[in-house]
Amino acid sequence: MKLVCLGLSHETAPIEVREKFALSDGALDQETKGLVASEDVLEGVVLSTCNRTEYYAVVNGGSGVAELENWVCERRKYDGIREGFFYHYEARGAAEHLCRVASGMNSMVLGETEIFGQVKKAYKRSLEGGATKSVLNKLFQRAFGVGKKVRTHTAIQEGATSVAGAAVELAEKVFGRLNGSSVMVIGAGEMSRKTARALQSRGASSVMVTNRSFDKAADLAEEIGGRAVPFSGWEEELSHLDVVIAATGAPHFVVKPQHVEAVRRKRKFRPLIMVDIAVPRDIDPEVGKIEEVYLYDIDTLQEMADEARKRREEQLRLCEEIICGEIDKASLPAVNE
Amino acid sequence: MVMGISWVVIATVLAAAGGVVGVVALRSDKVGRSALICMALAFGAQIMALGWRGELRGQCPLGDLGEICLFMAWSLTFFYLVTGTTYRVSLLGVFTAPLVFLLQGIALIPGAFEKNVVSAESINAWREAHTSLSVLSYGALALAAVAGVMFFVLNYQLKARKFGGGLVHGMPSISRLVQAMARIAVVGWVILTAGIIAGLLMPEGDFSIHLMVATVTWVLYAVLLGVYFVRGLPGRQLAIGLTVLFVLSLVVFVKL
Repeated sequence: MKLVCLGLSHETAPIEVREKFALSDGALDQETKGLVASEDVLEGVVLSTCNRTEYYAVVNGGSGVAELENWVCERRKYDGIREGFFYHYEARGAAEHLCRVASGMNSMVLGETEIFGQVKKAYKRSLEGGATKSVLNKLFQRAFGVGKKVRTHTAIQEGATSVAGAAVELAEKVFGRLNGSSVMVIGAGEMSRKTARALQSRGASSVMVTNRSFDKAADLAEEIGGRAVPFSGWEEELSHLDVVIAATGAPHFVVKPQHVEAVRRKRKFRPLIMVDIAVPRDIDPEVGKIEEVYLYDIDTLQEMADEARKRREEQLRLCEEIICGEIDKASLPAVNE
Repeated sequence: MVMGISWVVIATVLAAAGGVVGVVALRSDKVGRSALICMALAFGAQIMALGWRGELRGQCPLGDLGEICLFMAWSLTFFYLVTGTTYRVSLLGVFTAPLVFLLQGIALIPGAFEKNVVSAESINAWREAHTSLSVLSYGALALAAVAGVMFFVLNYQLKARKFGGGLVHGMPSISRLVQAMARIAVVGWVILTAGIIAGLLMPEGDFSIHLMVATVTWVLYAVLLGVYFVRGLPGRQLAIGLTVLFVLSLVVFVKL
């Protein structure tokens, strides 16, 4: 009896190859059933996310990853180049790899948390489909425990690693919780959408979108559940806003000190965070000199994201130590025996 | 004497321990109860120490520098314990412990506590209420000033885009600090109001320059808070106002 893992991910295979092996929710159950239908496979879990597809299987002694790889390629009708696209692990290596994946250590955004839920979901489906038994049950339970420990004992998920995430982090530093806060997005491009979405995910309740082309503002507002404001009227809204995101393609400053000065009394001098993610900049740097205004540009946000990524990378050694220690402690069949 | 002063020493050691434990907890991002326990024990020791001085004086123990510092440390600890968890576990809360330590440290300077205290023959309830409420209010106003100092630090870091280090990480948000400054100052101001009313009800011969200073302080705080709540003030200006007012009034009181 042997534990094996076969997979391909964003680190090893290009999108053209990954998409051939990606499995929809419906196809995932069929794939798992097909996997354990083989005489040589005793247990199996199939994980498929946008960045990776992985097969965890407990196989009979005579069988191995080569057979599994052939079976997978045949099933996915893939006859292209394989070399270097697939990775495979056995016994302890497979267990450690699963722990790394569940901890977000192999994710495209290092330390991201979504993968933990995806691994859990994949395991649950296999469990419910009767495809797992003692070996994979113990292994996955241990991997979930390790994933939680890695996240609580290290800083692998600390700090925002994207520009939008950094903007949210700064807004939270100024306002604490963003519940009930009002946001205005000036410009209706992709960065505006991402940042507005990120703020909404943290509780921002009222999002207004303004753009020179009102139709574009209306489209984005509809998509994110906000309200479109004519470009000629954005200044009037400033009096009750908490966060302003500016991302237009304008070649000159859109937001000037006089716009904020005009509403300071009306705002009762409440803090206002302004995030300028446009190049050339949309917000006059002089605006940042107003006492209650906290102004950040794209460079600051990018720097924050880069530093967070660097800090996360520095945590990898600590994460590896936790994984090794936990696997050593565990009594996992087909891994430690 | 030795037994009595030992309560001040114990309270001081516990405040130092509370500060250290709090900083360690903040740095490791773990919210523990150790700092709270240290401060609660320090509070108990402060009560014992104040009881010792009160018994000696036969009245509210506010007759010398040591007693005033001790009373104010007790007041600060009291407000630390009664405010919410968000405040206690934040850097703002952790800053209280060093301030308590400092005040008690001053109280422990030789000569700060009068040795030959004469017990009061008679006490006036209004006078007692005036002095104790006034010093109690200073505990709250001191906390508001601490929040103001924290605001300066965080505001500078956010404005100058200096996000490194654990200081920004461990601090409450700008909005929460502004809220804390205003609320704690209001609590202090209300207690000071009660203290001044009690002072006005004292027997005529007991009117002092202290009462006049307290009244001027009360007016200045009223103006500052009034402007903040009615017209609005940038957080930085509120922080400057609260810090300057506290330091000025404290200096005047100490000089007197």
